[in-house]
Amino acid sequence: MIVLNSSDGATFEVEESVAVQSQTIKHMIEDNCADTSIPLPNVNGVTLARVLEYIKKHAEAKDDEEGLKSFDAEFVKVDQASLFEIILAANYLDIKGLLDLTCQTVADQIKDLTVEEVRAIFNIMNDFTPEEEAKLRNDHAWAFE
Amino acid sequence: MMEWDSNSDASGDDEFVEYEEEEDEVEVGFGSNGFLFSGGGNGGSGPLPFPVDSLLQPAPCGFVVTDALEPDHPIIYVNSVFEMVTGYRAEEVLGRNCRFLQCRGPFAKRRHPLVDSSVVADIRRCLEEGVEFQGELLNFRKDGSPLMNRLRMTPIYGDDEAITHIIGIQFFTEVNLDLGPLPGSVRESARSCDKFRSSLSTFGPVSDGKYNINRGLCGIFQLSDEVISLKILARLTPRDIASVGSVCMRFYELTKNEDLWRRVCQNAWGSETTRLLEAVPGAKRLGWGRLARELTTLEAAAWRKLTVKGAVEPSRCNFSACAVGNRVVLFGGEGVNMQPMNDTFVLDLNSSSPEWQHVKVSSPPPGRWGHTLSCVNGSHLVLFGGCGTQGLLNDVFVLDLDAKHLTWREISSLAPPLPRSWHSSCTLDGTKLIVSGGCADSGVLLSDTFLLDLSMEKPIWREIPVTWTPPSRLGHTLSVYGGRKILMFGGLAKSGPLRFRSSDVFTMDLSEDEPCWRCVTGSGMPGAGNPGGIAPPPRLDHVAVSLPGGRILVFGGSVAGLHSASQLYILDPTEEKPTWRILNVPGRPPRFAWGHSTCVVGGTRAIVLGGQTGEEWMLGELHELSLASNIN
Repeated sequence: MIVLNSSDGATFEVEESVAVQSQTIKHMIEDNCADTSIPLPNVNGVTLARVLEYIKKHAEAKDDEEGLKSFDAEFVKVDQASLFEIILAANYLDIKGLLDLTCQTVADQIKDLTVEEVRAIFNIMNDFTPEEEAKLRNDHAWAFE
Repeated sequence: MMEWDSNSDASGDDEFVEYEEEEDEVEVGFGSNGFLFSGGGNGGSGPLPFPVDSLLQPAPCGFVVTDALEPDHPIIYVNSVFEMVTGYRAEEVLGRNCRFLQCRGPFAKRRHPLVDSSVVADIRRCLEEGVEFQGELLNFRKDGSPLMNRLRMTPIYGDDEAITHIIGIQFFTEVNLDLGPLPGSVRESARSCDKFRSSLSTFGPVSDGKYNINRGLCGIFQLSDEVISLKILARLTPRDIASVGSVCMRFYELTKNEDLWRRVCQNAWGSETTRLLEAVPGAKRLGWGRLARELTTLEAAAWRKLTVKGAVEPSRCNFSACAVGNRVVLFGGEGVNMQPMNDTFVLDLNSSSPEWQHVKVSSPPPGRWGHTLSCVNGSHLVLFGGCGTQGLLNDVFVLDLDAKHLTWREISSLAPPLPRSWHSSCTLDGTKLIVSGGCADSGVLLSDTFLLDLSMEKPIWREIPVTWTPPSRLGHTLSVYGGRKILMFGGLAKSGPLRFRSSDVFTMDLSEDEPCWRCVTGSGMPGAGNPGGIAPPPRLDHVAVSLPGGRILVFGGSVAGLHSASQLYILDPTEEKPTWRILNVPGRPPRFAWGHSTCVVGGTRAIVLGGQTGEEWMLGELHELSLASNIN
């Protein structure tokens, strides 16, 4: 069993065979940095719990394609802030499947949106000057045809 | 504006300074409408219980007083500036806690996620400690539009040193934030707000638009450039990327990256097409971003007449040509005396002065016309069928254009399709030859579809079993789109005992377990069998070019009636309702003719060779339809 410590002090136990879905953890184990426990200062407890939920499911139901598909679909039904926390964690922990799944979800949200809609949904500030924006509209007009 | 839910201890100064407000009536005493200051009208006589000097602003301020002794600090007074700016009338807000301003619109129940909760916590802390608060917080008008509230809250102490009231001064500014309409917007307050809004900007500074009100609430910005670009943006279509580039400065910078565009193009058009485009020097200079745009909009498409050296001699028609990268290969054809020819020519369009070269091959395939030539396995050309001196053929020959000594190699396999001519062919996955229809012995028209997997050691012909086929035909075209789908268009089709030129479109998805032919219907009308829009007039021996992204371009051919064959038609079979559209392209197209042989060079140029008008053969003419700008 591997012990993982989140940034806010929560402790999680997980089997090594499951934990190595994270390349980062895998390398730490291989480099013998995992004697007592592995500190993960970049991931908080709530997010780490979710990530572990994912890798546990993907380890135990490895061959159940249909089951995993529906699990994945439900897994990403979280609020935006949590989704980005999971992306950051999946990137830091280097879990390809989880990173691809979550990023595809974000990409699907962006698809076919107008510029204003993207800003609103992701709380992005429009930091162009009116002149810059007018020029961009012109250059990118083909995208909106 | 303010949210406080606890009383604070009494301790603080009690400085009173006069404050003058233009329109308010200052009354003595309390009550639902009252203040605690004395004095009446403007320039009231009594001292006012809050430091006004420091509060005087060059612009109108909102002004709110709440009762700190009552539960949840109800509002007991708001001034008319508050009313005008927020859109809430006094009677709507008296008795309520000010936190409703953090909700977007009168019906929202909770604080809007864009409101910075750390500022709200600050306010609470200041109140608990009995100190003044100054800060900025996002608020919302009654119509849901956002306001930035630069707020100052001061506790007021009564005789017994307990806080009795809280005074809030709000300096409202506009926020450059487009949240879309509020569901069920309140129209009237919006109108009056609009009027005030324009005057607000003449009074005071408008938020300069660079103020980042998000403060950590913009989740996507937490991600690194690498993750955003490679993991999220790379999954979008070319149009989405162009759109995303207009969202903010950071995305603009990310979407300028050529590597990102390359990934996007690869995802949109497939790795085979991208590889092909990469091999073309012109396309590389154009950049993937620009290429994506031009191949999506076709804004740079143009006809050009090409002048090349050398000649294909002896003269002929009904030959077949195919391109490998930038090299065009021509085989066979029908000579002046109707004799089937068996020679091979190569034209290298990479060269600065391209010239037809007659290639000496040992043991060429038997001469033929009405055959097909297709590109497989990168640099190989596969020849099938046609009509030779002994009659119709169904043999297969392959030529490796990159080999040191060019040789045609015969591929023999069991159960080949019926010998035929004027069939159509295309290549799937870059490795499989698909052959369909054509004319068999005794002039019988065929409607079968066969597949030959040339990646195998010993390729075997396999018929694709279907329950229904479109009417049999010759002189039609087969185009590949969307990876493993094929589209059949036009040809001379059987209709009872007769044959008519067709403009029908049929598709088949070869990734399915049991592929079947489907009609492409664009019209919503029941029983409609064809795409909507302006369909090309029925024809055979025309040209169909597959564009990156799945669209098909059709032109030329033997066209029924007096229609011009050089008009370009474009169809996107991946649309929900596929519709024919006309593409107007500058430049001089090839003359009205049929029997053209066309091939696509480098993914972006369609080269049209030869053809006949019934009177003459135009072998000497070479026309190019370039789909993207040529930087030569």
